[in-house]
Amino acid sequence: MMHQASRVTITAEKLIQDGLTEIIEAEGALGYSVFEGGGKGQHGLHGLLRSPIVDEFAIIKIEVVVTDRAVAEAIAEKVTKAFFADHSGIVYIDNVEILRPTKFGNSP
Amino acid sequence: MDLIINFTQTLLSQLQSPTLAFLIGGMAISAFGSKLEIPDAIYRFIVFMLLMKIGLKAGIEIRQAELSALVLPAIIAATVGCLIVIIGRFTLVYLPNIRASDAIATAGVFGAVSASTMAAAMIVLEEQGIFYEAWVPALYPFMDIPALILAIVLAGIHKQRSEATHHQKIEVRRIITDSLKGSAVSALLLGMAIGLLSTPDRVVASFYEPLFRGLLSVLMLIMGMEAYTRLAELRKVAQWYAVYAIVGPILHGSIAFGLGTLAHVYAGFSPGGVILLAVIAASSSDISGPPTLRAGIPSANPAAFIGSSTSIGTPMAIAVCIPLFIAVAEVVFDI
Repeated sequence: MMHQASRVTITAEKLIQDGLTEIIEAEGALGYSVFEGGGKGQHGLHGLLRSPIVDEFAIIKIEVVVTDRAVAEAIAEKVTKAFFADHSGIVYIDNVEILRPTKFGNSP
Repeated sequence: MDLIINFTQTLLSQLQSPTLAFLIGGMAISAFGSKLEIPDAIYRFIVFMLLMKIGLKAGIEIRQAELSALVLPAIIAATVGCLIVIIGRFTLVYLPNIRASDAIATAGVFGAVSASTMAAAMIVLEEQGIFYEAWVPALYPFMDIPALILAIVLAGIHKQRSEATHHQKIEVRRIITDSLKGSAVSALLLGMAIGLLSTPDRVVASFYEPLFRGLLSVLMLIMGMEAYTRLAELRKVAQWYAVYAIVGPILHGSIAFGLGTLAHVYAGFSPGGVILLAVIAASSSDISGPPTLRAGIPSANPAAFIGSSTSIGTPMAIAVCIPLFIAVAEVVFDI
């Protein structure tokens, strides 16, 4: 049987990865996944097709799935407020369906 | 007159040296739009190998050297690093169209040190048979870290004054540990520790040393490619950054050369050491400086400081400053 959950996706520069995961864990998420990538935004810094000599300016995508929608929104808001005024990044939330709720949250 | 002839001769022979040729080659190939890529992992491995070798030899030599000889050059290195940031803070900031945080970050990057420039200078000195103490590269963190910290502190002070934001504590200790944890400085310090505390002479002679020159040539290629790519970013910001990136290396190197000469006179610092110190001062960080500054001064536009350092600063330091300071030293120290 599938359950509803919320997925928060943050795409940001690798430099702030530690700060992001701190916020995610502080809000009570049980886990997250990190993927590396490239892309382009208004700043044009994060080339996928060339090897960036500075690793910290590459892009990462962090996905967090939580059962509690309020937690998802709290993560999104905190992350935006703490980092996105000065650093590159976007965050969005979508709804996903999961099989094992206990892996994603402590709420019933 | 002699100086000019000397310089031109050294410069012309430099243009044929593989170091500079690979740098220019990288720029040319990138300008051409080639898809040639050196994988990121290889680049990082090369930086590790170069700094490991430099550190190992420095450590081996420190074991035998008198530590008091290091003190004055270390103080000079730290002083020059801070001076560079201060000079930038009170000149670049006041030019038209320049944002203060961008300018301070740029000054910070130029105060910090480029491992690739330092390695290139060492190869040239060895080719010309100019002696320098093997521990001179150990001055790298002494210039690098104070410059970065000072830049971040000055940017913080400026921000507080202009925006009247609540007092944000600048975590100096975190900046120091982050800089020491950076890949370049870590490899250098590790090499120095191993060189100092054990006897790695054979592995240095049979592995690290022979590969140094070849790996440096690939690094120069990568830096050249990166220099061209970043040029597009530099175009987006004020032209003054380009001017600073051309004038700065020569000015900063000259200050260090002057102070280094004092160390030569009073502490027996070798002429090769003075040249290397001058080149280190002329260099601008491309690898470890930018992330530290981006983290410490997040409002600074990376196009300004990375663009000026990687596109113009480093090529200037390698192509112009190395032959320049060797030529000056030949005249001043009669070598």
